[in-house]
Amino acid sequence: MGAVGLTLPWGARISSVEGEGDSRVASSEVQQQEVPGGSGNPEDAAIATLCLGGDHVGYERLFRWQGTRMKNLARHLLGTQSDAEDAVQETFLKIQRSVGTFRGQSSFVTWAFRILVNTCHDLRRSRVRRKENATGDSEELPPSQEPRAAVTHPTLKLALERALVRLTQHQRDVFLLYEVEGFRHSEIANMLEITEAASKNTLFQAKKNLRGMLEPPSRVREVGL
Amino acid sequence: MNITCQERDRIFLDGTPEEWAALELHAEACRECGEELHAWKNLSIAAKEMREEPDSPQLWSRIEASLNQHASQKKPRSIWQRLWNWTPLSVGWQTALAAAMVLALAISGGYLWTHRGNNARPEEGTAALLQSPALREVEKSERAYEQAIEHLETEAKPQLQSGDSPLVASYREKLMVLDGAIDELRMQAGQNPSNAHLRRQLLAMYQEKQQTLQDVLETKR
Repeated sequence: MGAVGLTLPWGARISSVEGEGDSRVASSEVQQQEVPGGSGNPEDAAIATLCLGGDHVGYERLFRWQGTRMKNLARHLLGTQSDAEDAVQETFLKIQRSVGTFRGQSSFVTWAFRILVNTCHDLRRSRVRRKENATGDSEELPPSQEPRAAVTHPTLKLALERALVRLTQHQRDVFLLYEVEGFRHSEIANMLEITEAASKNTLFQAKKNLRGMLEPPSRVREVGL
Repeated sequence: MNITCQERDRIFLDGTPEEWAALELHAEACRECGEELHAWKNLSIAAKEMREEPDSPQLWSRIEASLNQHASQKKPRSIWQRLWNWTPLSVGWQTALAAAMVLALAISGGYLWTHRGNNARPEEGTAALLQSPALREVEKSERAYEQAIEHLETEAKPQLQSGDSPLVASYREKLMVLDGAIDELRMQAGQNPSNAHLRRQLLAMYQEKQQTLQDVLETKR
């Protein structure tokens, strides 16, 4: 797929959003949005206590609080709503099975998302293995995005989704967790078992790559591509 | 604060709020930086639009049902059941373990068949077996193997104690089950030292433990 197919209407987007400010971009970690689920959050602590005590209300509260975000992330990692729901369900079972090992070194939500990300990767790998067995092709499949309902800027969103598929798994994870789901680098570092610096660097590389993929055609011509 | 075009990427990577403000100012006068800055911001704005609220009203019911089902299945199980049902044990391992047990049964059956004549005078046979240099050799090798695994366990201990990932937790659980099985088999082998089947089962458990400890150490690398 060439860059033209992924072109964003940059000019239109810029004029329509200018002045909104952009805490995720403009001030990096300093002016972060208020992200639910950070360590020290009383709801997080309450849910952790309930789940550690084997109380199902804890899981329900976790789902009501973070379920949408979990489904959203899983959908972007796996490509379909059905796989995403399976991943979220499996994640809750894994949380129940291993809640005794939670030591509070991160927030409970961060820990739950770490399990979710790993579960999504496992599901993707098993899907690839199934595909390999069926076709004999060993190439890893990127998540294919199923069609969705129209949103405010369908072209822009679609182009970004298509470009995301072409990132490395690691870059896609960090981009989705930071830019889409709004986690901090410190939380992402905890989830993916990397350093904060590595998380920042991976995000930078991901955005650089996306920027290259979504280059407007005029600029592509300028650089002779 | 004055910013140059060369500093743009560094600010994108990890700039302070002051540096971002300075870059905004610089971008007003620099066309290239202005374009890059807008494009960079647009990625974040487009990403926010990817946040959706997928509608799946039945999902919590499904999750709740599976949580309840899992909770009701959580009843005390024997060491063997726990080992057999231990989820991360791959089908390959389960098959290998089953094959090892069948082999051990066949060998011990063959041994009993070929030595069935000794049963005529059991006290003599047992005495001879207990003093057998071959048995002493087996016990000596077992002790050496056990010590080697203990060294491996000491090496893997920090990784097992510090890691809180589900994978490490899963290894801890598996090792606990294996230790329980090893203790049980050692006790039985102590009561019946000539039972080759028990000794082979014990060996299989030690090998499984060795492999698990190696896997734990692998996760560190």
